[in-house]
Amino acid sequence: MRAINMPRDGLPVTTARDMARDESIGQQFTLKTEVVIVGSGAGGAMTAYELAKAGRQVLVLEAGRYHPSSLFTEHLGDTMTEVYRDQATQFNTTADVLFAEGACVGGSTVIGACVMQMPPDSLLRRWETELGLSNLAPARFKPLLDEVGKEQYLHLNEAHEINTTAHKVIQGCERMGFSWKPVSRNVRQCALTGHCLAGCPSDRKMSSLVTHLPWAVAHGARLMADTEVTRVLISNGRAYGVEAVVRDPDTGRKIADLRVEADVVVAAGGAIQTPLLLQRSQIPDPSGQVGKNMAVQPFVQVLARFKEELHGFRGALVGVEIDHFVENEGYMFFSALAEPEQLMIQGNQGAGADHIRFMKSYKHLAGLNAFAIDEGRGEVTWKGGLEDGRKVISWNPSRSEFEKLKHGAALAARVFFAAGAEEVFIPSFQQISATSVFDLDPALDEISYGVRGLYSLRINSFSAHGTCRMGVDRYQAVANARGEVYDVKGLFIADASLIPEPMPSAPHWTVQALAKQVAQGINQRSRELFLS
Amino acid sequence: MPTAKEPSRDQSDQAAARQVTAPLAAVTRRRFMKGVLLGSAGLAVAAGGTFAVLRRSPVDQQPVPEGIRHLSQSEYHLFRRAIDVLLPLAGSALTPVAEVPVLANIDAMIGTLPAHIRKDVASGLMLFDNAAVVSGWHGRRFVDLDDADAVAYFDRWSRGSVIQRTMNTVIKQFVYVSYWRDPKTWPPVEFDGPVSDRWGIAYLGNAPLPEEADA
Repeated sequence: MRAINMPRDGLPVTTARDMARDESIGQQFTLKTEVVIVGSGAGGAMTAYELAKAGRQVLVLEAGRYHPSSLFTEHLGDTMTEVYRDQATQFNTTADVLFAEGACVGGSTVIGACVMQMPPDSLLRRWETELGLSNLAPARFKPLLDEVGKEQYLHLNEAHEINTTAHKVIQGCERMGFSWKPVSRNVRQCALTGHCLAGCPSDRKMSSLVTHLPWAVAHGARLMADTEVTRVLISNGRAYGVEAVVRDPDTGRKIADLRVEADVVVAAGGAIQTPLLLQRSQIPDPSGQVGKNMAVQPFVQVLARFKEELHGFRGALVGVEIDHFVENEGYMFFSALAEPEQLMIQGNQGAGADHIRFMKSYKHLAGLNAFAIDEGRGEVTWKGGLEDGRKVISWNPSRSEFEKLKHGAALAARVFFAAGAEEVFIPSFQQISATSVFDLDPALDEISYGVRGLYSLRINSFSAHGTCRMGVDRYQAVANARGEVYDVKGLFIADASLIPEPMPSAPHWTVQALAKQVAQGINQRSRELFLS
Repeated sequence: MPTAKEPSRDQSDQAAARQVTAPLAAVTRRRFMKGVLLGSAGLAVAAGGTFAVLRRSPVDQQPVPEGIRHLSQSEYHLFRRAIDVLLPLAGSALTPVAEVPVLANIDAMIGTLPAHIRKDVASGLMLFDNAAVVSGWHGRRFVDLDDADAVAYFDRWSRGSVIQRTMNTVIKQFVYVSYWRDPKTWPPVEFDGPVSDRWGIAYLGNAPLPEEADA
């Protein structure tokens, strides 16, 4: 009989500081376990829970720091400093597209906006019939999604969770005849602080920090933070562990080199970090697709100024979505308004009186994020050696993606004008606004594609996916339908990099269901996979 | 339960500086653009040098306050002028610049930059200041432009070449981020800032195990 000790608050995490204090740990040490999981975000935490629950010895290694919820200050600048990847400066090569990502225990689930979207049935059917991925057929995959939904306290926003920004979007949609609905979120008893992106100090957001990680720990999983896996150990076509470096998160000082020997390795660092790990590990890669096909779900934020005071930054951060354009045109729209410091980073600001006017109208602003489904042409590459190399994220909009984003911005602007906006601010590197719907097209015409869309629209990405895609053909895909990397037995992927192609919904929910499926598959093959 | 803590001021400055200078870092990563930046900065100084009398500024004689540790004298005066131009708060209800250590914040952020980016920032600032002598035929450096000309100069650079747009963005972001990150600036725009403690929001802790929740 195993004792199940569920931590009611926080997590027992071994940190770099703990290791530095422990004199029994030298500068190099080795651990043995059955499963080592690289990354503790949506996919890693789910996999850890499922495998630990099945009685496996599980060790989760997280490169980022452990930042308990109780330490969140609700100051976005603080959170960005401590738990965002590269202190929120993970950019593409031209530094005009930000790839926001969590780098902490719990990963991006800690800093997400709680938006959960079910992948459309049509997409699952396509993956089943056209890509041959029968494991993703609605009949097999939707029960997993339902299970995740239950674990995540998923619910449609209720009336009190729809703030004034969202009400303006609803008003605009009603006048334009666009379909909208409350957003589905993974939060219990939301306190309506509006600080989702800065982490939830009262543990209402159902991040991995308060769900699958403590549940995994309850079933015996161990967690180490500040531990960056540098490569997967592979011999004769089989993964047998990982090498990692433990660093003090504040000083960067190396504390120790760690080697973990394991029967099963699960890469779950997300769509940007996982392909980098596989490249550093020099896996066989018969398809040549590791790091390629990256879909980024680029989005732009359109702001609108209304006559009345809205205080649109108060209440639940994301209230409603416009679902009118998802199936046919590939757009998603979510209401949200950033805090002042973030507005300075994300939007182009005028000089002098213009800027003062803009900020004086902050309480009159509403925001709408326009996401476009992209072509999945991005690439993540590790350049250089294991020790001194660096990541390179290559994505700039193609001309058609640029036009699509611009059209998305135009649609968002029209929704706000229909709701009575006095001025709409276009998300570009130039300072452009329109004061009526009649000025909109000329204003948008000022934004040209130029060279590779460089410094044209202000684009961000929160949800990269597809960089180690799942598929049935080893010459087209990186992992098979079980999530196991082709030609490397015992190496599995359980994160957004598995998603087979660009998807028209926020990937969080899909990632968790995929990870659950991968973990259950590992459990089913335990006799074959667990040598010990 | 641990109590809330803030990251150290240095870490926070470093993060903000990295965000602000990211566009410049990307531009100068490309050798060609770096050459253009350094060449333009040199050329602006040389062209200004041709009109040496015009290049001189009264502010060159003014000292830099003791607390400033990382900005050079000319950079300090450039940012001081940029703050006046970009944040004309007199007569508004917004928090006066005098109550927010904007220059000290900029100085601290600059101090956290890695050497190679710091060098590019210096070149970019020198270009921005000196190019005003010839760009737009102002015949004076940026630090000596009157308010209207200085705003027009920013506006022109916001529509200019990649390097001009980048420096326009970098300077504005240094100033605006240094001002708006300070909680003292939030009440006038009615942004609430952190609220959980103030509202007495109860801490819920970890979610119960699914098997417990089902029971």
